[in-house]
Amino acid sequence: MRADRAETLRYLGYRGQEIDSRTQELLDKISAELEQNSSPGSIYREYDCRVTDDTVSFGGLTITSRNLARNLRGCEKVVLLAATIGRTADLMIRQYSVTNLAGAVIVQAAGAACMESYVDEVEDSIRREAEKRGLYLRPRFSPGYGDFALEYQKDIFNMLECSRRVGITLTQGNLMLPSKSVTAIIGLTTQERESCHRTDCSQCGKTDCEFRRTQEQ
Amino acid sequence: MNFTERLKTELLFFDGAMGTMLQDQGLQPGELPEIWNVTREDVILKIHKSYLRAGCNIIKTNTFGINPFKMKDSGYTCEELTEKGVRLARKAITETRTNAYAALDIGSLGRLLKPLGDLPFEGAYKAFRPVCLAGEQAGADLCLIETMNDTYEMKAAVLAAKENTSLPVVVTMVFDENGKLLTGADMEAAVAMLEGLGVDALGLNCGFGPDVMKKFLPKLREICSVPIVVNPNAGLPVVVDGKTSYHVGPEEFASVMKEIAQEGVSALGGCCGTTPEHIRELVRACKGMEPLKITDKNRSVVSSYSHAVVFGDHPKIIGERINPTGKSRFKQALRERDLEYIYKEALSQQDRGAHILDVNVGLPEINEVEMMRKVVPGLQAITDLPLQIDTSDPKAMETALRLYNGRPLLNSVNGKRESMDTIFPLAARYGCMVVCLTLDESGIPDTVQGRIEIAERIIREAAKYGLRKKDLLMDTLTMTISTGQSNAKITLEALRHVRYVLGVHTTLGVSNVSFGLPQREKVNTAFFTMALSQGLSAGIINPGSDVMMSAYDAFCALNGSDSQCRTYISRYSGQTPQPGLQSSKTRELTLFDAVVKGLAESAGQAARKELETRGPLEVIDQELIPALDAVGQGFEKKTVFLPQLLMSAEAAKAGFDAVKEHLKSQGGSSESKGTIVLATVKGDIHDIGKNIVKVLLENYGFQVLDLGKDVSPELVLETAREHKVRLVGLSALMTTTVANMELTIRMLKKKLPDCRIMVGGAVLTQTYADMIGADFYSGDAMGSVRYANELFETEAGKK
Repeated sequence: MRADRAETLRYLGYRGQEIDSRTQELLDKISAELEQNSSPGSIYREYDCRVTDDTVSFGGLTITSRNLARNLRGCEKVVLLAATIGRTADLMIRQYSVTNLAGAVIVQAAGAACMESYVDEVEDSIRREAEKRGLYLRPRFSPGYGDFALEYQKDIFNMLECSRRVGITLTQGNLMLPSKSVTAIIGLTTQERESCHRTDCSQCGKTDCEFRRTQEQ
Repeated sequence: MNFTERLKTELLFFDGAMGTMLQDQGLQPGELPEIWNVTREDVILKIHKSYLRAGCNIIKTNTFGINPFKMKDSGYTCEELTEKGVRLARKAITETRTNAYAALDIGSLGRLLKPLGDLPFEGAYKAFRPVCLAGEQAGADLCLIETMNDTYEMKAAVLAAKENTSLPVVVTMVFDENGKLLTGADMEAAVAMLEGLGVDALGLNCGFGPDVMKKFLPKLREICSVPIVVNPNAGLPVVVDGKTSYHVGPEEFASVMKEIAQEGVSALGGCCGTTPEHIRELVRACKGMEPLKITDKNRSVVSSYSHAVVFGDHPKIIGERINPTGKSRFKQALRERDLEYIYKEALSQQDRGAHILDVNVGLPEINEVEMMRKVVPGLQAITDLPLQIDTSDPKAMETALRLYNGRPLLNSVNGKRESMDTIFPLAARYGCMVVCLTLDESGIPDTVQGRIEIAERIIREAAKYGLRKKDLLMDTLTMTISTGQSNAKITLEALRHVRYVLGVHTTLGVSNVSFGLPQREKVNTAFFTMALSQGLSAGIINPGSDVMMSAYDAFCALNGSDSQCRTYISRYSGQTPQPGLQSSKTRELTLFDAVVKGLAESAGQAARKELETRGPLEVIDQELIPALDAVGQGFEKKTVFLPQLLMSAEAAKAGFDAVKEHLKSQGGSSESKGTIVLATVKGDIHDIGKNIVKVLLENYGFQVLDLGKDVSPELVLETAREHKVRLVGLSALMTTTVANMELTIRMLKKKLPDCRIMVGGAVLTQTYADMIGADFYSGDAMGSVRYANELFETEAGKK
């Protein structure tokens, strides 16, 4: 799990501005603190699945979502995943919000970068196991993407026993705590050609997103 | 013999898993196991009986997941499922004629409590209560609160059990491989809190198998003064082809459990993956063995949600700064509900080495109860230091003690009959350590013997409430030497006697000693050092005082509690200037430059210098605002980076604070351009963006009432109405919470038609903002400043 500097800067809306030495120091300090003090954890389970044009069913749950169904088209199995980098980032955000707001936004950005890098690592180990069985991974797809409603978080949490196993809980509004947490569905397919090559933002419909990866990034 | 007595005299056996057994019987993923108390009674009864026949003394009712949140859409009430679950257990016990106990099984709610999460403490308490009530009524013999990984939730559950039933309470927790609970508490912190609350037994369950759990037991035995329960899994979960299973078999399980029993435990059983076979082997291996001998470890300890602070030969520092006495800036912060000021003080004391923080927010013109209700959880959200609750108002005291996460320190009780009668019951109920002042109805004794007598009387009275010597911190009262030259001697001799003859830990606030004398710090420091050598366990001082803290560090090195003087050496070797101070070679910057460069200290200095020759309004209008404008424009043009903008905002704030101080000292006051209410809407917990807007608006001269996050529409309306605000700013980040933004706007437009509303947040667009009736939308923070300026200038122009 790493706080990749380029990713951190991307989440800060970096567009090539000058970064003075104090900001640089703060970036270094916070990245190091996050990397050292976070306690990442994850849990995942594999299920057989059935995919139609607009539904996906696995483990007794049926999800209605055209976007998810498209992502999983042709898959016979899915992996359900939950991961978190722990509470340290949230504590740091609260503390910096009191002492230095610049630090708070940096924790937010570096925390997001850590989270993504950790999920990538977990996904990589899932990929290695899957490839032994001749299976390839689709790009991970989370509740909240496209028309995959956030309400399904409740079901995912029940199935993975998230609160008991990795200490992630849901608020009434289906937001996860600790805030740097991710749940995702990863389709497994026998077709390598249709699998994920850790893509860019070109697949996403939000073209006006401030954090959209440009060609250079 | 009753259950609690039996735990001390006989090794008892819990049953094994229910959940994994039910999965084997066809329980579907996502199906609530507790519903089988109604739909598959026969299966539940059968499982209970097979555990009983395997030889266990205690069976856990099938009620683990019963709480209002999980049962909401189930079609059943908590009460009916609990009742069924307990009755089934009782039936199994009767029909197998085993004379066993039915433990009401209470699991975690699956929600995170405020301030980290969204469930209020009282909400958690109310969620546990119906199960406790129904369970006792249906015939449970004890409450087992298990698989807990959050001390705060544990506290809610324990209080629910103790305040609504007369059943014994047992709590078992899930620790990770590093010996920490998920919310960060180590074993010492959890044990301190639970023992304070008076649980009858505690221990570990779930998480891992007996081999790993065994490793935590030596430490637990060392610190725990109540019976210990151990219920491990049948090993670590293994996922094969999507199915979870546990691979430690009955014999292997039993053999490690036997080792655990040999080393000393009070009750043994199993959690996930264990079966009647596991229990049968366990009983066979351990039956007849001696249970753990329960001894009082005599620990004087307080804790936060993360760690414990133990009073002993290593003296502790209690930071005194969160206290309005004699601090006008602090009083102002309390009046203005500027909690950030309090949090900053907390963090700065923590940085300087305080072990515990005193919290006193008592001011006649404010509502102290409400303030404690906010401040205690608020402080615990940003600092992990234990807190000393310092108040003389019993209501504020109870509010704080109830909401405190951990084992608190209470300041204070004294020798007056009324004080002891009011405060000891509270202290006993909430399990705190108590500071005791050696004064009574006749005042403060001016002899050593007089203070000792009061101390002895307090100790006797405390014992009536179950509070023992280890639960008390005696304060022999520091009096000023300028009104009585033996005063210091009297205090210290009484202190020494209390500590080394009576055997009670001690505390003192030292600064009183020098009242009326010049260069007070010199006298305070000497007195502090003397007190430390006479047995002071905890000093209430200002950790920001270099002189006091170096005396403290030197003392610890001298009295042997700083092993090999390591701490002292690491702190004081090298040059004289201490780490953390800005280098004195910063060349003097103009105020404009300091703000642009984001240098807060230089900005404060430069502002003060400017104010020597220029008027305050001139400094604001000609230096601070133009600097902010320049940075703000650079941000919008994307030549200034976001963290830079914020550092400039903090620097500008330092400049403004200097101007405000100056104005105050001249008898004037700074007028704000207008009041603005900010809030992140209900259901949303993202607030960094809102905080950025707040800092910028304050910089530009507005007074901001920040309602925080997850704010109900009603509270926004009420606040806007009460303060007659003309502008409200709302933030939301999610498509799911933006609906609450629309609700809030509708309410405001209806009741306060003259109030304008601006909105922001990643999920918003101009189109959406127009649709929900907002008056202004901005994609970034500077837009809000421009809008506010325009709005209030137009208003001013109109007047």
